[in-house]
Amino acid sequence: MTLPVSIIMIEDDDGHARLIERNIRRSGVNNEIISFSNGTDAMKHLFGPDGSGLVQKGNALLILLDLNLPDMTGIDILRQIKENKYLKASPVVVLTTTDDSQEIKRCYELGCNVYITKPVNYENFANAIRQLGLFFSVIQVPPAAP
Amino acid sequence: MTAGERRRRAVWQILLFAAGLLVLTVISAGSVYLVNKARQDSKWVVHTLEVENQINALLLEIRRAESSARGFLLTQGTDFKADHDKAVAAIIPALDRATRLIGDNPAQRDNIEKLSAAIEIRLGQFAQEMDFVRQGQPDKAAALVREAASANTTAVISTVAGAMIQEEERLFRLRSENADHSQTLAASMTGIGSGLVVVLALISIWLVRRSTRARDEAETRLRDSNLNLETTIDERTADLREANDEIQRFAYIVSHDLRSPLVNIMGFTSELEELGKDIFRRIGGLTGVPAGGPPVDVADIALDGPDKQLSEDFSEALGFIKSSIGRMDRLISAILNLTREGRREFQPEKIQTRDFIEAIVSSLAHQAAEAQAEIHIEPLPEIVSDRLALEQIFSNLIDNAIKYLKSGVPGEIRIRGRTKLGYAIFEISDNGRGIDARDHQRIFDLFRRAGTQDKPGQGIGLAHVRALVRRLGGTMSVSSELNAGSTFTITLPIAWKVSNRKPDK
Repeated sequence: MTLPVSIIMIEDDDGHARLIERNIRRSGVNNEIISFSNGTDAMKHLFGPDGSGLVQKGNALLILLDLNLPDMTGIDILRQIKENKYLKASPVVVLTTTDDSQEIKRCYELGCNVYITKPVNYENFANAIRQLGLFFSVIQVPPAAP
Repeated sequence: MTAGERRRRAVWQILLFAAGLLVLTVISAGSVYLVNKARQDSKWVVHTLEVENQINALLLEIRRAESSARGFLLTQGTDFKADHDKAVAAIIPALDRATRLIGDNPAQRDNIEKLSAAIEIRLGQFAQEMDFVRQGQPDKAAALVREAASANTTAVISTVAGAMIQEEERLFRLRSENADHSQTLAASMTGIGSGLVVVLALISIWLVRRSTRARDEAETRLRDSNLNLETTIDERTADLREANDEIQRFAYIVSHDLRSPLVNIMGFTSELEELGKDIFRRIGGLTGVPAGGPPVDVADIALDGPDKQLSEDFSEALGFIKSSIGRMDRLISAILNLTREGRREFQPEKIQTRDFIEAIVSSLAHQAAEAQAEIHIEPLPEIVSDRLALEQIFSNLIDNAIKYLKSGVPGEIRIRGRTKLGYAIFEISDNGRGIDARDHQRIFDLFRRAGTQDKPGQGIGLAHVRALVRRLGGTMSVSSELNAGSTFTITLPIAWKVSNRKPDK
């Protein structure tokens, strides 16, 4: 049995969130999208009230993560996700305006699956999101570790 | 210590030295003179004694002659006769010696003349006495003796001789006094002079000690101020570095944060564009295009006069917005790249400049051929520097030279190099359109350009190049006239070291 993949979007800029959502929808992905505009709420949702991540056990998640958040850095969230035994199998897509090679390298080292620089060029942006959507619609997100 | 003080002190030293020398000279000369004088005086004292002695000897001989004559007269003994003869024979030489000795004294000369006259008379009497005794007339001889005594010849001799001795004694006292005086003078002169020399030496020592102390103090102050200077320089350098880092961070954050809203503007503009297409498609559908058919481009939708105008205005407005956003994005990217370059750490390495420039030129060969430009590379000095930074510097400058040639004139670009005092100087000159003198500063400013704006560009290249040259420890300048080509001159240290920049955090 495969659960439908939930897309968790952590993005403080409402405009960006709306654009991402629209373009994901436009590319034909109809999965549930849960969006958070700050890191604290997202962490609460991901790790549950006890912070163990048990609440997400067995859920198939795909996380879209912005690095510049008002209350914490995306890097911290990424590290915690990848260190949690229930969440570490969930693919994480880092979506940010930074195209600094050092930061990209650091994200990949921490276990991010895809790093996408938010391009201002709308066409490229939409394409990237669509491809991501296609990618997600094909891939089977592996069940989280028991 | 001030310069005047120093000069005064030096003058003092010289004066002291001169005074010491003078005192020594005076003492030496005075001593030599006084010693000579004392010797002279002693000689005169000895001379006086000698004269006195001689006169006494003369008197003694005369007495001897007299007493032996009396003895002979009384006894007619030959012993007395021989004695008398010997004494008489000694009188004349003794008188001669005395005359010679007192030759220097006119008063004594008179005396001696008187004395010798008296002695001659007496000698004559002696001879007569002897003759009378020999002829056996002792009475006559005795009478003669009495006559001599009454005529006072003997007394005259004694008186004159006494006067002479007195005179000599006077001279003796005088000369002894003179000699004493000279010696006292010499001794006191030596004493006072030595004292003066000692005083001068003491003053000298004091002066030397004072100037040594002053020098030590100055040295200490110099060392302190050097230390302070170094600390100040370090502090200022740290401040400057901090300020620079802050500017870099600021530029980075600003450009980064500016991008975020730009993503929205661009994204929703595109959304608007899509919406516009939908709206006009719907309007078109209402006016004739079959709805639900294959999607068609907005431009292809046949619209009537006012609707068409509306659609064109809408597209035009969106077009302006999109091109402005594109431009803004490029500017922000440029700032980001610049700050990133500012943070990059340089890796100095040895660069074969000529091969290096040739590689850059060959990468620009296409543009050069298009612009009909010929690029000449002259021998260039090798340097140690950051390869990537140099590549950006030279490719920017050569690219500019190709880009801003005069249209219709075959381009000629020349790259020259030389070294001077540890620096390598590179010149990139062209025969292009040139730059007006009042724009020479402006072209190095970020986002500023000069001349006819007929080529694409952001006004970043030269600002970037100058920032890189400065970070490499060099300088950059331009000399150019409008329509007469430009020459960009770059001066870089031949061996750049990492140590002249603190590694970036």
